[in-house]
Amino acid sequence: MVDSLIQVFADVLEIDPAVLNDDSSPDNVQEWDSLSAMKLVAAIEEKFNVRLSTREIMKMSTIGRARKALQNKNVPV
Amino acid sequence: MALDPKSHWRQYLAAQKQLPKVEFDMRVAIAGSMTVEPLEPYLGAHLISKKFKPCIAVAPFNQLRQICHDYKQVLGRNDLDAIALLWRVEDLFPDILAACLDNPAPVEDLLRELKELAGSVGRLRKSFNGTLIVSTPPYPLLPGFELLDIRQALEGMAVFSAVLQFWTQEIARLERVRILDLHGLMLSLGTKHAHDSRKWLLYRQPYTETFWQEIGRLLGRILAAEKISPKKCIALDLDNTLWGGIIGEDGLQGIQLGDDFPGKAYRDFQQTLVCLKKKGVLLAVASKNNPEDVYEVFDKHDAMILSRKDFAALEIHWDSKVESIRRVAKKLNIGLDSIIFVDDSAKEIGEISERLPDVTCVVVPEELAELSDLFAETDFFDFAEITDEDRRRTEMMAADSARLEIQEAMSEEEFRKSLNLKIEVFAAQKQHLARVTQLINKTNQFNLTTVRRTQDEVEELVGSKDALVLGMDIKDKYGDYGLVGVTILKKKAKSCVIDTLLMSCRVLGRGAEETLIAKLAEAAKSLGCDEIRGRYIATSKNAMVKDFYRHFNFQHEPQTDEWFVRITEAPRTPENIDAILLL
Repeated sequence: MVDSLIQVFADVLEIDPAVLNDDSSPDNVQEWDSLSAMKLVAAIEEKFNVRLSTREIMKMSTIGRARKALQNKNVPV
Repeated sequence: MALDPKSHWRQYLAAQKQLPKVEFDMRVAIAGSMTVEPLEPYLGAHLISKKFKPCIAVAPFNQLRQICHDYKQVLGRNDLDAIALLWRVEDLFPDILAACLDNPAPVEDLLRELKELAGSVGRLRKSFNGTLIVSTPPYPLLPGFELLDIRQALEGMAVFSAVLQFWTQEIARLERVRILDLHGLMLSLGTKHAHDSRKWLLYRQPYTETFWQEIGRLLGRILAAEKISPKKCIALDLDNTLWGGIIGEDGLQGIQLGDDFPGKAYRDFQQTLVCLKKKGVLLAVASKNNPEDVYEVFDKHDAMILSRKDFAALEIHWDSKVESIRRVAKKLNIGLDSIIFVDDSAKEIGEISERLPDVTCVVVPEELAELSDLFAETDFFDFAEITDEDRRRTEMMAADSARLEIQEAMSEEEFRKSLNLKIEVFAAQKQHLARVTQLINKTNQFNLTTVRRTQDEVEELVGSKDALVLGMDIKDKYGDYGLVGVTILKKKAKSCVIDTLLMSCRVLGRGAEETLIAKLAEAAKSLGCDEIRGRYIATSKNAMVKDFYRHFNFQHEPQTDEWFVRITEAPRTPENIDAILLL
C-alpha cells in the first residue's frame, strides 16, 4: 500500500509513486513546477482536511518537509 | 460513492491516454488574466457528466489580447469548439482602476480601455468560428475597494458598477458572444468564500476551490447549452403544487395562495413559472380535479398569478396522469423527453417515472421555501439564444388550438381552403441566423438529413455563392407561425443538392411540404439547375420523412442512394395557398 502523502503527490504530478520518496523536491522531480505546487497545496488540503498558512506552504520544499508540516498539525502521515 | 471532480477528471485523462485515437466532441480553451488552471478538472468533470468527450487546453497566463489577435498562434490549434476568456479589471488595468478612486475620478479613461478590449473580443469573434465566451469582471480585490468600508457605495462600488454596465453593454452588442457572469457567480457565493488570498500571494491565483468548482459548472452549462436542447414544457399538478390545499375539498376561500406563508411560497412559484413562460417554456396542467372547480380558481382567485391562457394544454379530469402527459406531448407536438413533470405526490411521480421514463420528474420540495427556486440549479432551461418565436410560443399554441377546433368541424378540403395559408420561402439574411440555427439544431422529426451546424457555419453558407439557405415563413388567418422551415441547397453543376431540409411539425399536413418543394424547384431553376437531388439520412427520430422524396415525385437512384426530380416534374403549389419565393 502506497503512503497516502506520496499518493497525493503522484496523482497531482501524474507520475509513478515508486519514483517518489521523502527527499523528492522540485530540484529532482521535473514535473514539480510552480503550477504543480499550487495544485499540490489544494490536493493536500482537501485530502487531509487542513488549512496551510503561506509560511507553511513555502517551507514544503520536499515531500519530507510537507510530511513534517502536516504532522505538526496533528495529521497522521 | 460518486467520485470527486478532480479524481473523475484524472481518471478520464488517464483512460483517454490508453486509447489509440480519441474523438473529442468538445474542445475548449480556457484563458484568463489570472491563473485559471484550477478550472480544468471542474469544467472537465461537468462536461463528462453531460456526456461530452471534452478536451481542455489552458492558455498561457494573461495572454488575452494576444489570443484575441491571433488565437491559433497562441493556443497552438485551430480545431477548437470553444474559447472562454476570464478576466478581472485589477489584472488588466490595475493603475487606472486605482486612479479611479481619486477625485476627480478618471473613469472615462478606464471605459476607453474597456472599449478597446471589447473591440479585441469583437475581432476574435470574427476570426474564430466556435463558441466564444467572455466573463464579466468580478468585483475587484484591490486596496481601496474593501466592501466593508462604510463609504464604499460612493467610491469603489460606484466605479465598479460603471465598469460592469459598460462592459456588459459592449459585449451584448457583439453578436453571439456568450457571457460568463463571473461577478454574478461571486455574488451568489460571496466574495469571502470565493477568494483565497494565500493563493493569490503565492501563485497569482485568486480563488478558492469552491469558487472554481462553481465557475466550472456555470461554464459547462453555457457550453452544453450550445448543443443540448432545453426542456420545452412543464406539466404541473395543481393542488399542493400551484396552491396549498385541495380545491375540491377546501374550496376557493380555503386554498392557500396569497401574501402570507404558506400561500406566498406558491404565489412566488407561479411568478417563477411566468418568467419561464416568457423565455418560451410551455406550461401545461396535469391535475386530477373537476374542471369547473379549477376554472373557478383561475378565473376568480385574487392571488392567482397564472391565468388559463398562460397554459398551452389543460388536462383536468380523473384519468391517469400518464394519459395526461401523453396527451400534452401529443397536443404540443413535443417529445416526452422535453417535458418536466412537477407534482407533490410521490405516487404520481413514481407512476410517471416508471411508465414514462423519458419525462423528467420533479417533486415539490417538503421545504416550501425551496419551491420558487425549484429549477434554479438545473440546466433544464439553459437557452443559448432566445428568439422571437420562443417568446410568442404560448400564443402560437393557442392559435393552433383554434385551428384544431375549426378543423374538427370541417372537411379536410374545406379546412385547408378556409385557412388562407400564406407561405414565403426566402433567402435567409443576417437577422434570421439565430432562428435558422436553432431549427437546424433542434428539429429531430421532420428533418431529412439531420446535419447540425453552428451559427457561424450557417452564416458562412449564407454568404457563399454556391449555396442557398432558405427560410420558410407561414401565416394563416389564425396567426403567424413565424420561421418554421429551413432548406439548404448546394449547387453542383446542373444539380441542386438538398443538404438540409427540415420543418417544424406544427405546420405539417396543410400543403406546406408541397409548396416548399415547388418553391425549391423555382429556386433551383434560378441557380441554373435542372434537377433537385437529396438523400434521406435515417436517425432514431426521423422515420416520418422516410418516404418524403417518393411522395413528391423524386426517383431513387440505387447506385448513389440519392433521390432526384427534374424541376419540370416537381409538384406545384396547391391552389388554395398563396406562396412566394424571395431570393
